[in-house]
Amino acid sequence: MMTRLTVAERQSAMFISGLVAVAGFAMAVAGHGDPMGAHGWITLLFAATLFFLAGEALYHDEPTEDRSAEYYDDPTKAGILISLAWAVIGMGMGVWVAAQLAWPDLRFDAAWSSFGRLRPVHTSGVIFGFGGNALIATSFHVMQRTSRARLAGHVSPWFVLLGFNLFCIIAASGYLMGVTQSKEYAEPEWYADLWLVVVWVVYFVLYVRTLARRNEPHIYVANWYYMAFILVVAILHIVNNLAVPASFDAAKSYSAFAGVQDAMTQWWYGHNAVAFFLTAGFLGMLYYYLPKRAERPIYSYRLSILSFWGIVFFYIWAGSHHLHYTALPQWAQTLGMTFSVMLLVPSWASAGNALMTLNGAWDKVRTDATLRFMMMAAVFYGLSTFEGSFMAVRAVNSLSHYTDWTVGHVHAGAMGWVALITFGSIYTVVPLLWRRETMYSWKLVEWHFWLALAGTVIYIFAMWNSGITQGLMWRTYTESGTLAYSFLETMLAMYPYYVARVIGGSLFLVGAILAAFNVVMTIRNVGYRAPQIDYPTASEAGEPAIPAAE
Amino acid sequence: MFRKLLKPFARFFELHARTHYRAERHSFALAAGIILAASVGGFIEIAPLFTIDETVEAAPDMRLYTPLEQAGRDIYIREGCYACHSQMIRSLQDEVDRYGPYSLAVESQYDHPMLWGSKRTGPDLARVGEKYSDDWQVRHLVDPRALVPGSVMPQYAFLLDAELETGSLPDRLAALRAVGVPYGDAQIVNAAADARGQALPDTDWADGVAERYGEETNIRHFDGRSGELTEMDALVAYLQILGGLTDLPAEIQAARGD
Amino acid sequence: MSVKERDPLTGHETTGHEWNGITELNTRVPRVIWWAIGISHVWALVYWVLMPAWPLVHTYTKGLLGYDQQLVVDDRVARAYRELETWRAPLTELPAHQIREIPEIMAHVNATAPALFGDYCAGCHGTEGAGGPGFPSLVDDAWLWGGDAETIMETLRVGINAPHPESRIAQMLAFGALDILTRPQIRAVVDYVQSLSGLETEATPEVLAEGEAIFAENCVSCHGEDARGIRDLGAPDLTDDTWIYGGDDATMFTTVNLGRQGWMPSFEMRLSAAQRMMLTLYLQDLAAEADE
Ligand code: HEC
Ligand code: HEC
Ligand code: HEC
Ligand code: HEM
Ligand code: HEM
Ligand SMILES: [Ca+2]
Ligand SMILES: [Ca+2]
Ligand SMILES: [Cu+2]
Repeated sequence: MMTRLTVAERQSAMFISGLVAVAGFAMAVAGHGDPMGAHGWITLLFAATLFFLAGEALYHDEPTEDRSAEYYDDPTKAGILISLAWAVIGMGMGVWVAAQLAWPDLRFDAAWSSFGRLRPVHTSGVIFGFGGNALIATSFHVMQRTSRARLAGHVSPWFVLLGFNLFCIIAASGYLMGVTQSKEYAEPEWYADLWLVVVWVVYFVLYVRTLARRNEPHIYVANWYYMAFILVVAILHIVNNLAVPASFDAAKSYSAFAGVQDAMTQWWYGHNAVAFFLTAGFLGMLYYYLPKRAERPIYSYRLSILSFWGIVFFYIWAGSHHLHYTALPQWAQTLGMTFSVMLLVPSWASAGNALMTLNGAWDKVRTDATLRFMMMAAVFYGLSTFEGSFMAVRAVNSLSHYTDWTVGHVHAGAMGWVALITFGSIYTVVPLLWRRETMYSWKLVEWHFWLALAGTVIYIFAMWNSGITQGLMWRTYTESGTLAYSFLETMLAMYPYYVARVIGGSLFLVGAILAAFNVVMTIRNVGYRAPQIDYPTASEAGEPAIPAAE
Repeated sequence: MFRKLLKPFARFFELHARTHYRAERHSFALAAGIILAASVGGFIEIAPLFTIDETVEAAPDMRLYTPLEQAGRDIYIREGCYACHSQMIRSLQDEVDRYGPYSLAVESQYDHPMLWGSKRTGPDLARVGEKYSDDWQVRHLVDPRALVPGSVMPQYAFLLDAELETGSLPDRLAALRAVGVPYGDAQIVNAAADARGQALPDTDWADGVAERYGEETNIRHFDGRSGELTEMDALVAYLQILGGLTDLPAEIQAARGD
Repeated sequence: MSVKERDPLTGHETTGHEWNGITELNTRVPRVIWWAIGISHVWALVYWVLMPAWPLVHTYTKGLLGYDQQLVVDDRVARAYRELETWRAPLTELPAHQIREIPEIMAHVNATAPALFGDYCAGCHGTEGAGGPGFPSLVDDAWLWGGDAETIMETLRVGINAPHPESRIAQMLAFGALDILTRPQIRAVVDYVQSLSGLETEATPEVLAEGEAIFAENCVSCHGEDARGIRDLGAPDLTDDTWIYGGDDATMFTTVNLGRQGWMPSFEMRLSAAQRMMLTLYLQDLAAEADE
């Protein structure tokens, strides 16, 4: 891969990784005796490895081919593989923490293996490791194809991808050492937060520069979503993570906000991490790979506009539905609730747009598990957003909040929507990227589909049962008007559902492992096939019409 | 009738669609539109929380965490207790009946960050202070299932053997002051000694704690041992103050109801 | 690319572009979407008018209904309280034995107390009230302070060694740590105490005699001449076969060496007098059941 970079690019790769290595060393020295020191060593090791990889290739020949005649897919390929690795790690952690809730002694006699420390390894592992890498990888792929332009840079895509993974590694290893700010989905400490800002700015610049090179007059919907994902996540990340470190030689920091203001900020972030990371980004994926695979036009451009702006505008208001009946002033809760309900319309408009796009391709859905992954993802997207809007209603939330119902909703979205759309996209893109005739085994894809579907359904049903049971038990009154159940009784009632979840989660995990295996075997064992047109052209596309009146 | 009502929306959208069609050729127009659309809601929901006075009640008796309690809070965060325990009693009858007066905003006024939580695998802890003895807390953390058969809470026995690191406490309090917690100079300078004193009642350090944080402060061998200062001391000191920073919630709710 | 392409399948027009093979139809937004938008917006509007909703700089719109979640729950709690008063007034007015004679009240007590016990007491005394190391069983008849209702009520109100101004205070001295007794002396008195309740000891009669002497000198002031405990001091009976901490050598050595000071929380602030009475009645029943 290095040999496709020019010598100058290899030099700048060395320069950047050298710089990061030095920063890592400085952290290691300054943070001696603190987990930050360990993070310094990890950073040093990571950057030094890259430094030597680039250095080793430094004096190899310059690339000879005309690079502008081709798309630059190496970072995408790496991103897909890394994403699959994180899928196995993150979901493996999910199964482990799920098992701990059923059998709490299923751990090592060591601090790092307790539920509180492993849980964020699961959540960050799947959201950022699996989801984030898939988003970065597919965004590189999609933006080049839909812009008919090569990536605007050769070092910067690697910087984004590898820099992001350094962030993920620091995050996950930090949780095990107890380094966390406790802010859900934003747990990493201040230096990781700062590093992510750098990575993200480069990402945005790369994105905009590539769009600027495009040979299509219009920017395709998928790119609107990827852009919203990049931009808004940046805003959310910066504001939510404002904090003052206790010292610059240790990990601990204190949030700039406290109490209600902090709660509102955290859930403004937390909810919109769902909106712009777990929804907007993956809608970008859906808008490219689903029509591509179905070979059908998008059902409605107008619906795309409506749902895109609806999602961007309405989602932001909805965060306070995580704080119903709390000490957050009620006016803010009202806004969160009403906007969540209004949000359902653009959400379903997106899901509907996706499903209607399949009109004329339903026979393919039947025979092609890859397309079925994406179809199911759209269904779960519709289901989880409906459920979300429902749970955002104060009266419903008074029951669901704090219970497993929320966890069930999360996984309807996370497994049913995020993971299924990602797997569908991966199965679509892998043969294209590696120029393979086909996937190694379609049977395995079929198996994966049913394992994933069964796993998701079992998981969600278990959590609906446990969540609603517990919510109801907490508020059950005796005829005398006094509470009927002690907390302990409600906890013991969860056991069978927690066991069911372990089973559902394990099925899902097995599916993910099959996916990783299938992809690796495809790369190693399947024959080459030259793709149909898959290169940027310099020609100007004809200027199309204003939307025609109907 | 309804269709007429919807007319303006449809017309607005038609305009929007046309504008959009032109704007989507410019990445910066798109970016600006996204930033604009996505900023309104956050601003309108967050900014007024700083300007509307009644958002946070006035509680004159509100006290600060002592350095030991703050250290315990940091351990609570480090171990991820918030993943299973909420610290927010909602204004719902069953929660008030089970856990006590609903939580007020002022109670987490100095909580950087707040730990309201989003899941109750275990019970709410907002008012768990003094609900159990120190000894119970220690033994429960060492082995929850020894006291509560069937509990799914992890063991934290290692806290008893982990010496509490106090060297960074002045820095921690100073950082908290930087974000708005009104610690005084003396409290910051003496943070390490105060942490020690609070868990070692029969030392001179203990006097300083009472002096700087009030006579009401719990000064005890939290982990039941007089020798070293452990992380267990800090965590139990923190748990025992939960719900005890101000009497306002009980006063308000006694005045209004029961 | 022609300006007005049509999708052969549906006959809809496309927007005219194509991105890497993907095209878009220009289908109009289905009417159901407009309906949904209309309905949800109108609903939101109504909600905003009725409820607290929009922030202004220093205040917010309070809504026509004047709804405030805190006042609502205060009100609901107060109403529930009044409803409870319809049956629970006697709990705070009558002595326990009279309450027992009113079956309706006892029905309420039996419905209420188990969950209360589970939430507040079971952590220490166990779900069945049988106690555990350091936490006394509440279902035997070995009471520290007394098993009559008044005493139990008082224990619950003020706690034992608790941070309550009137808390009961009960302290077992640290005879070893305070250098009152030497280690062999402690061992001797431990052997002696074990012999009181018929536990096996390997001690010689001389040692037991020494233990007895030590006991007479140091322990009777609290545990009584006959070692049957003194309830005013919360000092336990050492002749029965129930133990708070344990009757084995090691545990008892620790008890005498380092002392004990069990902490039972005060429930005056956490539970109402009526709730405490329900627990008391429930406890007495538990104890009676266990007796059978
Ligand atoms: C896996 C989830 C889990 C984690 C993590 C966890 N707990 Fe718990 N906790 C529970 C459960 C379940 C209970 C109820 C059963 C019991 O008392 O053990 C509980 C009970 C408690 C109680 C008693 C509350 C009451 O009112 O009875 C305290 C105090 C407590 N936990 C503190 C902590 C602290 C401190 C930590 C972190 C160091 C922690 N917990 C981590 C699940 C958890
Ligand atoms: C933190 C643990 C803890 C909790 C919670 C607790 N207790 Fe206790 N309780 C104790 C201890 C320890 C003692 C014995 C004190 C001593 O050793 O002197 C005790 C003693 C008692 C006694 C006196 C027994 C006697 O022999 O006189 C009664 C009665 C009692 N508890 C009832 C209750 C009830 C009812 C509750 C719940 C409302 C409760 N306890 C909650 C720890 C606890
Ligand atoms: C100052 C009063 C006092 C004196 C003197 C005293 N005790 Fe105690 N003892 C107590 C109290 C009070 C308890 C209960 C402590 C608790 O439950 O936390 C107790 C508990 C005990 C226990 C534990 C019983 C169990 O159920 O586990 C033993 C054994 C004991 N005492 C033996 C002795 C011996 C032997 C001596 C003399 C060397 C002695 N005590 C002197 C007050 C005293
Ligand atoms: C192998 C399948 C999975 C299993 C067994 C699993 C299990 C779990 C468990 C046990 C929890 C903790 C719930 C609790 O605290 O009670 C959890 C939380 C979470 N998981 Fe998963 N998970 C799986 C897959 C995923 C995937 C694929 C994603 C995202 C793409 C995901 C995202 C999350 C999130 C966001 C949370 C936090 C939920 C909350 O705080 O409410 N999980 N998961
Ligand atoms: C219309 C769209 C949606 C709405 C209105 C919505 C609403 C909600 C509500 C009300 C909660 C519960 C908050 C609480 O009681 O604590 C919640 C939790 C959550 N939702 Fe959604 N949801 C939507 C879509 C999604 C989607 C598509 C995902 C994708 C993964 C998702 C992921 C989550 C997560 C991770 C949480 C848990 C947050 C926590 O840690 O507590 N949501 N959502
Ligand atoms: Ca962070
Ligand atoms: Ca959560
Ligand atoms: Cu949300």
